[in-house]
Amino acid sequence: MKPTPEILMVDDNPADIDLTSEVLAQSKQDLHLSAVYDGAEAICFLRQQGKYARAPVPDLVVLDLNLPRKDGCEVLSDIKGDPVLAKIPVVIFTTSQANSDINRSYELGANCYLRKPGNLPEFGAVVQAMATFWLDFASLPQKEER
Amino acid sequence: MSDEKAVALPAECESSKLRVLLVEDEPADVELVLRALRHGGLEASEDIAQTAEEFTRLVRRDSYDVILADYKLPSWNGMGTIEVLRQEGLDIPVILVSGALGELTAVECIKEGAADYVLKDHLARLPEKVRRALREKKVREERKQFQQELARSNRDLEQFAYVASHDLQEPLRMVATYTQLLAERYRGKLDAEADKYIHYAVDGALRMQKLVQDLLTFSRAGRQGGAFESTDCNVVLQASLKNLEAAIQESHAVVRQDELPVVMGDGSQLIQVFQNLIGNAVKFRGSEAPLIRVSADAQGKEWVFSVADNGIGIAAEHKEKVFVVFRRLHTREEYAGNGIGLSICEKIIEHHGGRIWVESEPGRGSNFQFTLPIKGNTNS
Repeated sequence: MKPTPEILMVDDNPADIDLTSEVLAQSKQDLHLSAVYDGAEAICFLRQQGKYARAPVPDLVVLDLNLPRKDGCEVLSDIKGDPVLAKIPVVIFTTSQANSDINRSYELGANCYLRKPGNLPEFGAVVQAMATFWLDFASLPQKEER
Repeated sequence: MSDEKAVALPAECESSKLRVLLVEDEPADVELVLRALRHGGLEASEDIAQTAEEFTRLVRRDSYDVILADYKLPSWNGMGTIEVLRQEGLDIPVILVSGALGELTAVECIKEGAADYVLKDHLARLPEKVRRALREKKVREERKQFQQELARSNRDLEQFAYVASHDLQEPLRMVATYTQLLAERYRGKLDAEADKYIHYAVDGALRMQKLVQDLLTFSRAGRQGGAFESTDCNVVLQASLKNLEAAIQESHAVVRQDELPVVMGDGSQLIQVFQNLIGNAVKFRGSEAPLIRVSADAQGKEWVFSVADNGIGIAAEHKEKVFVVFRRLHTREEYAGNGIGLSICEKIIEHHGGRIWVESEPGRGSNFQFTLPIKGNTNS
């Protein structure tokens, strides 16, 4: 049986996490969304440190750029600089439309850059498209047993 | 102390002696000039320069209230002082003192930047001329200061509009998406009033979102001062028509265009101008299908562009108002929009060194016109 896909969402706005989770719940029953609220937590989660010792290894990281403690770009460069974590696809999901943010994200190895839309129909469409693409269509790297 | 003196002199000159730089080679004339100043109640301390080198050295070293320059020197010309001051970036009034200065030359000297002139035979007039030159300088300085303050205040305001609209987007997104979620999740489950209230909230949030985005666009229109490039307005017009394709097809609008010129400008901003003007022509159409004519005429040093339509037109008393940001002349039910399109046009055209206005009569169409400098005539 195919294991349940795991998504880690890193966002300091609980409203965006809830909204994403709502949208996903409506369309995809068979996935699990974990959420952390800042960059440093994200790294602990991914490295399964401290209270995250038993955290699931995500198939996809959905990362906001504007984060407390450790910002999105730092998290991204930590992930892409870590031989174990580097192969996990990272989708940047942010309100920023700045070309500098988009370019920097791809330079640091982001797999995709999505802007958070301002209204529900578009927000839903983007989140569903993202989940469908990465979890249904894309072939993902095999997870290492840790 | 006489009243005249108190009124006539800038405050800083009252307490100390007037610092005068004399450009003069005749010691006797120096004495005459100083005596004339004393007679007129002006205590002066003077330095004397005879050559351009001395003059330059002195104005660099000291600050002077006024320069009194002989028009004709053996090795130099009194007008040369103005050139030196310009190069040094100094604003010191120059009054030419001359034994033989015809009226014609006098006018030319003033045109070239001298504050005034006085004949050596009429030195009694010198003190009043000095006082006036000092007053004028003070007014100049004040005006410059006001202009700087105004420019800074405008910059601050633009920065504020940018930051406010940018930072407002995030909380607004929360309000919009969550009221929409409420509407979706609870429609028909509360009561009819609740549905209506939620609808109002959603509608308000989405409208405010559009306003904030428009405000952001508006504040950016003036901020992005990229280098102007040679821009073919025919290409610009085609791009704007492409963006309006759906609206044009839907309304069966016909756009006729003359050959348009190549101008110096920011292509994407000019696309926005044509797009807003033609978009308005389509939006505010009359009972007939829109007929829009785009043309450009060379008039003097500028192109006058025209976007003329057969739409509903604008009443005379509203011709100015249509360019005011967020100003709308119709209800939202009649015509959608936030009243920002024309103010963006105005900002862009002014940024390009042009003007924009409208000629119109209700029911007889509108003719929006704007100017752009003819290529090669622009100084900026």
